[in-house]
Amino acid sequence: MKFANLHERLFYEALRIRRAEERIIEIYPTDRIQSPVHLSIGQEAIAVGVCEPLRIEDPLFGSYRSHAFFLAKGGSMRDMFAELYGKATGGCGGKAGSMHLTAPEVGFMGSSAVVASTIPNAVGAALAAKRRGTGQVVVTVFGDGATEEGVYHESLNFASLHRLPVLFVCENNGLAVHSKLSDRQSYDLCQHAATYGLPTQRCREGWNFLLVRDEMARAAEEVRSGSGPRFLEYQTYRYQEHVGIGCDHDVGYRSRAALEEWQANDPLLHDSALVDAFDLAIREEIDDAVRFAEESPWPGPEHLLADVA
Amino acid sequence: MGVAYKIDSDHAASRTYREALFRCMRGALANHPEAFLLGQGVDDHKGTFGSTIGLAEEFGADRVMDSPLAEESMTGIGIGAALNGLYPIQTHIRADFALLAMNQIVNMAAKYKYMFGGRFEVPMLIRMVIGRSWGQGAQHSQSLQSLFAHVPGLTVIMPATPDAILETYPWIIANHRGPVVSLEHRLLYDIAFRSDDVAAGNDPLTSRLLREGSDVTIVATSIMVLEAKRAAEHLAETAGIEAEVIDLHCVSHPNRAMILDSVTKTGRLIVADTSWKAYGVAAEISRLVCEHDPSVLRAPIATLGMAPAPCPTAKTLEDLYYPTLRSLADTAARVVTGRDDHGVALPEEASMADVYKRFKGPF
Ligand SMILES: Cc1ncc(C[n+]2csc(CCOP(=O)(O)OP(=O)(O)O)c2C)c(N)n1
Ligand SMILES: [Mg+2]
Repeated sequence: MKFANLHERLFYEALRIRRAEERIIEIYPTDRIQSPVHLSIGQEAIAVGVCEPLRIEDPLFGSYRSHAFFLAKGGSMRDMFAELYGKATGGCGGKAGSMHLTAPEVGFMGSSAVVASTIPNAVGAALAAKRRGTGQVVVTVFGDGATEEGVYHESLNFASLHRLPVLFVCENNGLAVHSKLSDRQSYDLCQHAATYGLPTQRCREGWNFLLVRDEMARAAEEVRSGSGPRFLEYQTYRYQEHVGIGCDHDVGYRSRAALEEWQANDPLLHDSALVDAFDLAIREEIDDAVRFAEESPWPGPEHLLADVA
Repeated sequence: MGVAYKIDSDHAASRTYREALFRCMRGALANHPEAFLLGQGVDDHKGTFGSTIGLAEEFGADRVMDSPLAEESMTGIGIGAALNGLYPIQTHIRADFALLAMNQIVNMAAKYKYMFGGRFEVPMLIRMVIGRSWGQGAQHSQSLQSLFAHVPGLTVIMPATPDAILETYPWIIANHRGPVVSLEHRLLYDIAFRSDDVAAGNDPLTSRLLREGSDVTIVATSIMVLEAKRAAEHLAETAGIEAEVIDLHCVSHPNRAMILDSVTKTGRLIVADTSWKAYGVAAEISRLVCEHDPSVLRAPIATLGMAPAPCPTAKTLEDLYYPTLRSLADTAARVVTGRDDHGVALPEEASMADVYKRFKGPF
């Protein structure tokens, strides 16, 4: 696929992620994907904007909500669908499912289903990068809720203390499951991180993949030059329910108006010319991946006790 | 004894595990002004898988508190509240998340009484849900009873039925002055059980004899209690093998006499646990018998549990990972006949998750 400019390329990447997750929604009722899925629909611009300035060898650590980052970092569509199906050809041979997607070959490190648990792992990878002089920038991506965990605070401290090449990227969708940020946090995300001595940056336009990308590019360059860790907050909005494929704007904890407000800015919903230009190629890639997943074999008994210790 | 419950959703007097939990949560708030719920999402519309729905509206946000994502401090805060006159009921929608609170549970809650010479009590209930099936995977499926039961100072229960909940939770909240860890099984939540009215006055913190039999003793935990009952019925019908079924229930304080008397009678022991076998319930119950008198055994002990690996997500692997009704019936037939080619017809079912199909993902 040839792109006229960066905007088109990022648009394509974001649309590719959205269509992949929409395909998951289509397949899910057939029970062929038996895995808890945490969809990023609405949040794709962050994944594509954050990953664009990164090199393949820059490690990025994610959470259970990782389809978007897996694909944006360069993970293979086939690996992902086969893994969601629990097939032997999945990226982790059917041992990971949706919540633990991994593609170390493109620097997409493990996703963990325990909130905040990969944040210190990213800091450790940054320690290694610095000690070994690899020139890598390490990225840890987490939600607003993850910042409530003690390990996040302890990781910020260590990263700043040792001026490690790590970028803390917070996808702030204002929710942890159904709980509003204001019911959970007494602090401001950026102000709080700044108390550890990290330069911080807040982006309110999490739908704007060019802006996300530019801010990330600047921060990554600074980190790569050895000036220590940075904290980036991207405000965003999750369209689907926390886990699963449904919409839940009618159950009381959030309003349809907020969804519509966000959707009004969502480029994927408004630039129909680009959507039309890209949809066919994207559909072909996804069709191929789904076919691959369906035709692949299940893992067998010989896999049960492999790779334990 | 011999509580007459059955998996039976049509029976008039049946109730689900979830309903029993809800009744106990509501009862705790209604009857004990010092009780309060503290956990992630206890006040939301899903209400901890239905066990706390509507309670925030009924009792107020002070009594039903949503918590930040902060397992260790929330547990420590619960302990502090317990030290100063409140009764916290805390929830972890997966037992795996309680691992973040291990310091407060193991180093603090379990120690306060003894370490300070009996001068403190930490009455609290920590509910943890064990996940299973629909690709829960390595971090949403761990069954951590032996980790907790290993530690003196903790009381650990694994209610296997609504009756077990109704007999135990209200009693603990009213009478027990120490920390209790309760492991609830997610697959049980939706199952309706026929139930007689709950007997009051038993000591709820011990084991429960559910079925009498002369040929083999099956000591089981949590959802494996149901499998043991189903296996026992199958074996009785198809092969005339009579299994005695003991629901271990209070993992930290099993009824030694009940287990030893039973094994002395049957001469055979199977332990069917929801977790790994090494250093766990299977090992512990075997220890009780072996330290007492191994000569009562007429056959080697057999144990069932998860495969010694983290939990895989693929359904084909998950079905191999967990013990099944079939593997339990097969094990019992082998132990009783002393032969691998025992000729006892085995139930066809391979995947327990299919049977408990009311549980359909994602959570
Ligand atoms: C340690 C831990 N506690 C609780 C949970 C249950 N849980 C899963 S996702 C989630 C909310 C996380 O919110 P946030 O970090 O904002 O990420 P988001 O889901 O919004 O992307 C919670 C509480 C968990 N997985 N791990
Ligand atoms: Mg969030």
